[in-house]
Amino acid sequence: MSTTVKRSIETKSLSISSKVFVRSSKSGNATKIVREQYLRNDIPCSSKLCLICPLNVQADVNGVVKPFVLSEDPNRTKQLGSHYIVIDANIAIQAIDLLEHKATFYDIIVPQTVLDEVRNRSLPIYARLRSLVKDEDKRYYIFHNEFRRDTFVQRQPKESINDRNDRAIRRVCAWYKSHLEESVSNSDRPNLKILKIVLITNDFDNRTKAKAEGITALSLREYIGSLPDSETLLDMIPTEDQLNNKRKEFSFPEHFPMSRLMGGVKNKTLYQGALNTNQYNFLEATVSTPAYPKPLLILGLENINRAFNGDSVVVELLPQSEWKQPSTQIVDEEELSKNDDATNEISSVITEQERKILGQEALDAQTSSAEFKIQPTAKVVGIIKRSWRYYVGHIVPNSTTSDKTSSTKSVFVQLMDRCLPRIRIRTRQSATLVGKRIVVAIDSWPANSRYPEGHFVRALGEIETKEAETEALLLEHDVEYRPFSKTVLDCLPKEGHDWKVPENLDNGDEQLKKRKDLRDLLVCSIDPVGCQDIDDALHAKMLPNGNHQVGVHIADVGHFVKANTPLDDEGASRGTSVYLVDKRIDMLPMLLGTDLCSLKPYVERFAFSVLWEITPEGEIVKTDFTKSIIRSREAFSYEQAQIRIDDDSQQDELTQGMRVLLKISKKLKQERINAGALNLASPEVKVHMDSETSDPGDVEIKKLLDTNSLVEEFMLLANISVAKKIYESFPQTAMLRRHGSPPATNFEILNDQLRVRKNMTVSLESSRALADSLDRCVDVKEPFFNTLVRIMATRCMLAAEYFSSGSYAYPEFRHYGLASEIYTHFTSPIRRYADIVAHRQLAAAIGYETLAQSHREKDKMERICGNINKRHRNAQFAGRASIEYYVGQVLKASESEQEGFVIKVFSNGIVILVPKFGVEGLIHIEDLCGDPTSSEFDESTYCLNFTEKSGTKRQIAIFDKVKVFVKSEKDESTGRRKVRMSLLS
Amino acid sequence: MILDADSFLEKCIYSPEGLRADGRRWNELRQFKCQINTHANSSDGSSYVEQGYSKVVCIVNGPKEPDGRSHTFLDKACISVEVNIASFSTVDRKKVVRNNKRVQELNTTIQRTLEEAVLSHLYPRTQIDISIQVLQQDGGLLPTCVNAATLALIDAGIPMVDYVSACSAGIYDTTPLLDLNTMEENDLAFLTVGVIGKSDSLALLMMETRMSMDNLEPVMAIAIAGSHSIRDIMDREVRRHGKQRLAKKGNM
Repeated sequence: MSTTVKRSIETKSLSISSKVFVRSSKSGNATKIVREQYLRNDIPCSSKLCLICPLNVQADVNGVVKPFVLSEDPNRTKQLGSHYIVIDANIAIQAIDLLEHKATFYDIIVPQTVLDEVRNRSLPIYARLRSLVKDEDKRYYIFHNEFRRDTFVQRQPKESINDRNDRAIRRVCAWYKSHLEESVSNSDRPNLKILKIVLITNDFDNRTKAKAEGITALSLREYIGSLPDSETLLDMIPTEDQLNNKRKEFSFPEHFPMSRLMGGVKNKTLYQGALNTNQYNFLEATVSTPAYPKPLLILGLENINRAFNGDSVVVELLPQSEWKQPSTQIVDEEELSKNDDATNEISSVITEQERKILGQEALDAQTSSAEFKIQPTAKVVGIIKRSWRYYVGHIVPNSTTSDKTSSTKSVFVQLMDRCLPRIRIRTRQSATLVGKRIVVAIDSWPANSRYPEGHFVRALGEIETKEAETEALLLEHDVEYRPFSKTVLDCLPKEGHDWKVPENLDNGDEQLKKRKDLRDLLVCSIDPVGCQDIDDALHAKMLPNGNHQVGVHIADVGHFVKANTPLDDEGASRGTSVYLVDKRIDMLPMLLGTDLCSLKPYVERFAFSVLWEITPEGEIVKTDFTKSIIRSREAFSYEQAQIRIDDDSQQDELTQGMRVLLKISKKLKQERINAGALNLASPEVKVHMDSETSDPGDVEIKKLLDTNSLVEEFMLLANISVAKKIYESFPQTAMLRRHGSPPATNFEILNDQLRVRKNMTVSLESSRALADSLDRCVDVKEPFFNTLVRIMATRCMLAAEYFSSGSYAYPEFRHYGLASEIYTHFTSPIRRYADIVAHRQLAAAIGYETLAQSHREKDKMERICGNINKRHRNAQFAGRASIEYYVGQVLKASESEQEGFVIKVFSNGIVILVPKFGVEGLIHIEDLCGDPTSSEFDESTYCLNFTEKSGTKRQIAIFDKVKVFVKSEKDESTGRRKVRMSLLS
Repeated sequence: MILDADSFLEKCIYSPEGLRADGRRWNELRQFKCQINTHANSSDGSSYVEQGYSKVVCIVNGPKEPDGRSHTFLDKACISVEVNIASFSTVDRKKVVRNNKRVQELNTTIQRTLEEAVLSHLYPRTQIDISIQVLQQDGGLLPTCVNAATLALIDAGIPMVDYVSACSAGIYDTTPLLDLNTMEENDLAFLTVGVIGKSDSLALLMMETRMSMDNLEPVMAIAIAGSHSIRDIMDREVRRHGKQRLAKKGNM
């Protein structure tokens, strides 16, 4: 221990106070808690003007002193002069969008009192406030007033906690004022102007008191009003509560108080779960609860009771007499509420039209022969956690009057997400905003309002422009797409693009010595055309004993992205790269993704290699993991590789190696299929872009070559090998991926449909049985039918997820789709964060380096997994939405007649999938036949009988092949381009 | 863009500004208060120690006739430690069974620690009773008990190599934190060291959580440094008390 660095111990005396508060425990007892609070004098004001505080600051563990934040020359307005701003908690919570706005709010002092209150009230906003503080440009400073002796405020007897906090904030203002005055008067620059401290609060009482104490206090509206470009900013001020008080004619049922909800959930009279709105019918939602195998049904706006899709809600069961079956109708909100006026409320929550639909459903429930379809029905009685975020939408044109005055008006915003209601915002710019994609935030949904209240955040651009739509879909799927910040970019190697593998491998770097030099191996990579971020490369070599050495080499991202750096944090928060049709949103900065990490041909790169010894029969004899240095000989596209393998005139070693790989991969694949791996199809389409105008040209279904499966097989093998290894080394925290077996209930409907229509079934006993039974679902007359069933089966499956090995027992690790006992993601560290974690764990497992604490703690790993699961899902949705948008654009130019398949039948419409474009479209009964009332829906056989406009009778059932005319059409009221199909006979 | 809220769920143990939940910096001890000779009439040596809101009283009796055969060693004194935890010492009142495993382990740990410093070979066939009463707990129970026992032994006039001073330290991400309170102990990996005098030799090293090897050294370094400053405070108290005694004697 003699070599240890002695750390200096703080001996300066501190004064002590105590924090006393009362906490209620789970059992309902109140406990008084007393905590120490040390008051000190070394908390800086962090103003660059100050000459006193810099003498007094303390360094952190690494001896780094935080630079001062608040600028010497802060924001300035005509009325106030230059000033620093102090905000209170309500401002932070209600107007966080404004605080984040680039145009205003610089040099903000956030008292600790405010920060603590924000954290207690809303964690997401706390997180956003924290990231604002990190943002160097915005110059936010958290002033720990509770720990500074001069600014600490003791709660007075009979003083409410809010009053005490307000007093603490006022004390901060007063202290800053006198402190800066003092420090400037001490300075040798006496001409320095004295700054004002401005308190922004919407609390009238607080403002009056502040003014009495000589503090400049303004409301948010007053402050924004004093800024030069206040017009747009004023719209962003959240709606204030007083506005709603006049409308009292109707109301949603009040939510239960939190204590009752908690009690109810605990003693199992109420149930908690996430609300899931039906995409075809916004009046219907389901809540999955652990208590019931099937989700609970919630019907009607009143029962959904202001909950949003995705909210965590508490529900109460309705009496059995009110149980219904899921509706068989399609209900679009936009159709129903087209004529609502944003300023005048309609007198009842449920409109007449909605009542009609509900009535129809009640009738169905009574008359339906199929008893089993009646589901327990419930109503929402409370919302535990809102899923509110930013939403993208556009102003409903007919909800605003056409006059061009800039007075404040209420308008409706129709969101892009169909499952959500429209939002009422108040804006002065309605005239200019019509026809644009805009971002809105939701403030509240009072019980007496039919629509949630929100405010305008910003405009993205004209509807249907590529930029606006792309940004909209990124925002809508919560994808971080802003450029990387400076702190993140600072973590990159200084050499930039000139970074090279060191020539001298014996330069004293211990880590480098542990790398294996594999530059002599004939490595190549096979990827899609134009791939820049090459994650993986392969090689095969004959060994003297007749076996093959096969190696998978993965980009060594872990070398550049060290744990607990800002770069790592950014990667962890993005979770995955997002691939759109014309754009890629990287998880890691370009320099790494497309250059330093990318296993480009002809250059030396660091890699993480998995080396197997495989017998010619495909049996694995030995597995090795090592960090390595490789030099890829060639980067092939799938087609090029295929051509080269098929070309018998090519007899060089590289090609021979690839043939060996192909041969082995076929054996591996066969083994996997024998074990019960599923082949689930989903129509993947590719949009061809015109290279010059980058306008979408043509749509094509992706083709699969042998080489695709070559690469896939070896990646699967590498992932499985790595999963085993890291699980062995880190049984509690290994980063793994599982895919649960689908519950039988998911397949009930599909099985019933297959049985009734085609006399087929799918078996669910095991993945093998499912794979076999899917193979049997063949219609001789219709080759596509099998793929169709697979597509529909895929939709019944659960999603695969990342998890940390401590969260599940070993049997539950199983990857159902791949029929593997254990699985992880290791092979794409450039575009997935899970792989980076797996890399680090593997590096630690082979003794290359020690593992960061955050990958060794169960709860931290669970948090990482939760986030990347969410990001992964969002990325998939964003990718699909992008394809959908472009397919729409392609169809705009070319209308055509296509083959389609009926995949859903409702009593008032059908859904058709067109495989050629991979799009689905809805046809309403009104468009099918002249007289909707003449149609008959037979639920037991999934048939719809109707009379066509021409007068001929027609029957349409699920799985039917139909001819449709496909075109894309812009719906004027919603601004959304939709694929519109019409049935041809 | 909404950040993932869950990643911020953790309590603010150590803020980005470098302050802990109670306003201390990473390398600061809680307020350490001590007193010796508090129970002069009922014991041979006594002390009272406060580390923040952890408060204990310690009483030493002996060296004295051993309680029985099992407490008799031919070559050295038998040190027996008994920790008594008051049921009102925690936030949620709970009865601590006198001989539960946890308390027994605490007894043994303190006993072994003190054996390193007490010159017990000077008192063969005797027993030294150390009884510790825990009045309030707020993290760092073991170090507080060790510190109190050291002071009481000194008060009882039992020869020791040097002070044994103990202190805990934990790790938050990569920052070592000194002298943890309950809230921090619940969330962090931490260890307790007992240091002999101003040296680097340890009489006690206790760690019940998992900590990575890279973090161990800085955490131990700061815990040892913390123990050294506790020794200084205790030394000051012993000298103050000694002077007071001498002054009284002079008066007589």
